[in-house]
Amino acid sequence: MSLAEPLTRPAPAVLSPVPAPMWTRRERGSAQLDLPLMTTSEPESKPEELFEEQALPFMDQLYAAALRMTRNPADAQDLVQETFVKAFAAFGQFQQGTNLKAWLYRILTNTFINTYRKKQREPYQGTIDELEDWQLGGAVSTTASAHRSAEAEAIDHLPDSAVKDALQAIPEDFRMAVYFADVEGFSYQEIADIMRTPIGTVMSRLHRGRRMLRDRLTDYARERGVLPRDPGSTT
Amino acid sequence: MTDCGCEKAKQDLEEYLHNELKGSDADDIREHLAWCTECADEHHVGRVLTEAVQRACRETAPEELREQVLSRLRGIQATH
Repeated sequence: MSLAEPLTRPAPAVLSPVPAPMWTRRERGSAQLDLPLMTTSEPESKPEELFEEQALPFMDQLYAAALRMTRNPADAQDLVQETFVKAFAAFGQFQQGTNLKAWLYRILTNTFINTYRKKQREPYQGTIDELEDWQLGGAVSTTASAHRSAEAEAIDHLPDSAVKDALQAIPEDFRMAVYFADVEGFSYQEIADIMRTPIGTVMSRLHRGRRMLRDRLTDYARERGVLPRDPGSTT
Repeated sequence: MTDCGCEKAKQDLEEYLHNELKGSDADDIREHLAWCTECADEHHVGRVLTEAVQRACRETAPEELREQVLSRLRGIQATH
């Protein structure tokens, strides 16, 4: 199988937003089936309370990820809202004790693919995983050893806006792989589950994504004179 | 102790950075980085890059989003 598994595949049924309401699963056969909110003597937390307690604390993180995906605050807000609505409806299928954060990110990613990406009409990027490193540019580090500490120093002092701009400029699948690994600290396996790609694809996207990011950041530093220009460089 | 060498270290550096290497695989890289300046510098750039991205991507959800989400969730509950 090709490693070119774009994010554009339709979402598998497991995350589609048409699950039964969670309480029909928990209270099957109960006379109160349609009136779950009216039972006040339920000993354990109600699922909706559990959801608010467990899932809502991830809002800042999901919003930050949504911003990187959609690249604008209005769409990011809509995306987070849709994600919580879908997650709420599907919460009965979430297995307590498993990774809620990864589960929420999977819903976020699917929702993004199925709605917002279409709207944004990004150029199709499905074949980019197949491109050779040289086609993407700068994949092999040419940084001389003596320059590396200067490079680290420069990157360390770049303004956040420069880092965000550089991230926004790299292709989405690469950008999100970097985001999931470096910002969220997800394992490669978790990222593979979230992006629904083989783990080898995750590694390749991460590697290339970080390479592109690094090249953009060092270019930025060079343009501003923070780093000396590469002697052999044509730019 | 045998050193894993620069080639292997460079190849595995990203996995090492992301805590994907376990046990002796991670130890091999750690030992190599302890004495190889070139690879250690490369690793340092990698770490700085990760930290820069983390720093730049910190966000707080707007208060209105929080309110919208809560009101939608409660709206759904009310209709069931």
